[in-house]
Amino acid sequence: MHYQVDSWGYYMPRMSMGSDPMERVAKLASESAVVIFSLSSCCMCHAVKRLFCGLGVNPTVYELDQDPRGKDLEAALMRLLGNSQAVPVVFIGGKLIGAMDRVMASHINGTLVPLLKEAGALWL
Amino acid sequence: MNVPTGFIHQEGSAFGFGELEEAIVLQGLNIRNDEAKAPLFTTGRPAATLEMFPSWPMRFKQTPRGSSKSGGGSTDSGSAVNTISSKTENQLEPESPISSKNTTPLDHQQQKQQEMMASDVSRTGASQNQSIAKLPQEKRRGSTSEKQLDAKTLRRLAQNREAARKSRLRKKAYVQQLESSRIKLTQLEQDLQRSRSQGFFLGGCAGAVGNISSGAAIFDMEYSRWLEDDQRHMSELRTGLNAHLSDSDLRIIVDTYISHYDEIFRLKVVAAKADVFHLITGMWTTPAERCFLWMGGFRPSELIKMLISQLDPLTEQQVMGIYSLQHSSQQAEEALTQGLEQLQRSLTDTIAGGPVIDGMQQMAIAIGKLANLEGFVRQADNLRQQTLHQLSRILTVRQAARCFLMIGEYYGRLRALSSLWTSRPRESMMSDEHSCQTTTDLQMVQPSQNHFSEF
Repeated sequence: MHYQVDSWGYYMPRMSMGSDPMERVAKLASESAVVIFSLSSCCMCHAVKRLFCGLGVNPTVYELDQDPRGKDLEAALMRLLGNSQAVPVVFIGGKLIGAMDRVMASHINGTLVPLLKEAGALWL
Repeated sequence: MNVPTGFIHQEGSAFGFGELEEAIVLQGLNIRNDEAKAPLFTTGRPAATLEMFPSWPMRFKQTPRGSSKSGGGSTDSGSAVNTISSKTENQLEPESPISSKNTTPLDHQQQKQQEMMASDVSRTGASQNQSIAKLPQEKRRGSTSEKQLDAKTLRRLAQNREAARKSRLRKKAYVQQLESSRIKLTQLEQDLQRSRSQGFFLGGCAGAVGNISSGAAIFDMEYSRWLEDDQRHMSELRTGLNAHLSDSDLRIIVDTYISHYDEIFRLKVVAAKADVFHLITGMWTTPAERCFLWMGGFRPSELIKMLISQLDPLTEQQVMGIYSLQHSSQQAEEALTQGLEQLQRSLTDTIAGGPVIDGMQQMAIAIGKLANLEGFVRQADNLRQQTLHQLSRILTVRQAARCFLMIGEYYGRLRALSSLWTSRPRESMMSDEHSCQTTTDLQMVQPSQNHFSEF
């Protein structure tokens, strides 16, 4: 695996070649404690990244516009979420948390931090 | 012998192609009939097709709703004929020499057809085509050509009748809907008028009604109504607390108040889609509220800060919960703010700097970026909603009731402040008139404080 460290301070691993896009999503989601699917041009994705960084978490971010098969992944995520916006999408401990609204609701009702700790993304 | 010409001559001023189609179909059938019976049916008369275009004047006779008349003559299942009765019918009586020859019982049938044709003419085009379909059924009864009308055509004509009936029902429903909307609109306007006179300052409405978008205007009206409901809910909360209701009874009132807030967030989703700038500039709120505006509404962490000191006594666990809520809210607000700043940077990059290579293209991209604003306002509202829900989870029922009352009163005072501000005396010498007004407004603010300290 090749890693690029950028100004974010987290790692952006190169995506492994998979077959079915949904499978790839599941595989990528389970490889790290916190996984965010994003588009580099999307501002809401920027917001969700900032939220996790603000919590002291180093999420693994996949920028779908920089992946040759990103379109397929986007389509798979749209189906998964059941709406027209594929990104941002957050997985914690391999489990789907959801889009920005679910992430924020989870943070406000106090369930996000325990999930992060459970997945090993946060240490008190 | 069949004289199919009768109904063809009914065409008045409105000649629809549907009628022509029906006429052709039935004429064709009748030609087949006649050919079977009498090969020389055209003797002494012009060719059948030419008869579709009247060459002699029509005499129009206005008849009142001939429902009894047309109903009486009909022996079919009734649906076709009885539905005519809602309109005034014109009765066309052609003076053609040919139809004057018709003295057979068939004539009565054709008169029915004439009525139906005429009433159809007075209707909209869509139903015109289909209502003609009634004719063949009338015609069929007296004629001996019924076997000639094959099942397929009959079915189609029956379907046309049904479609016509449905079309009429739809139209009726639509008109009723329009009427009720009109009434509702008048009511809303009255509410708006009343709210204004009571001092609820509606941002933007005072001077800029002409410049407001329809989405914004609709939201403003809905918000003004929501504010009235808010007053009502707050007195229920006050009464509930005063009356020392049981926890379960109070819970109902508190839950209703939460639903009331859920309602405004739902309305804001629609408004964000229609006119995000109306929300984000705070033109829907009052000036004093606009001071504190964050992403189209209140900043949740600020609201919690305001509440913390007033919510005593709280258990240790509750205190921790509230501080935790404030903290999470702050983090979420910060994240959204940074996302919005990213959007602004991106927008600046698109619009500014460098030569304009393709102005329209740049604008199109910029518009795409601006559209993201809606998402941010929605997420901010989502944050507000979640915060209120979490508050009600942390607090006991009585505490929650007091809390929501405090929130309502706080914003009520901000609105009163705005009202005072806009009506504040500008001259150096305060006139009696102005000072009286100020006093009254201040009195408006006082009583709520008394209620406040009771709990």
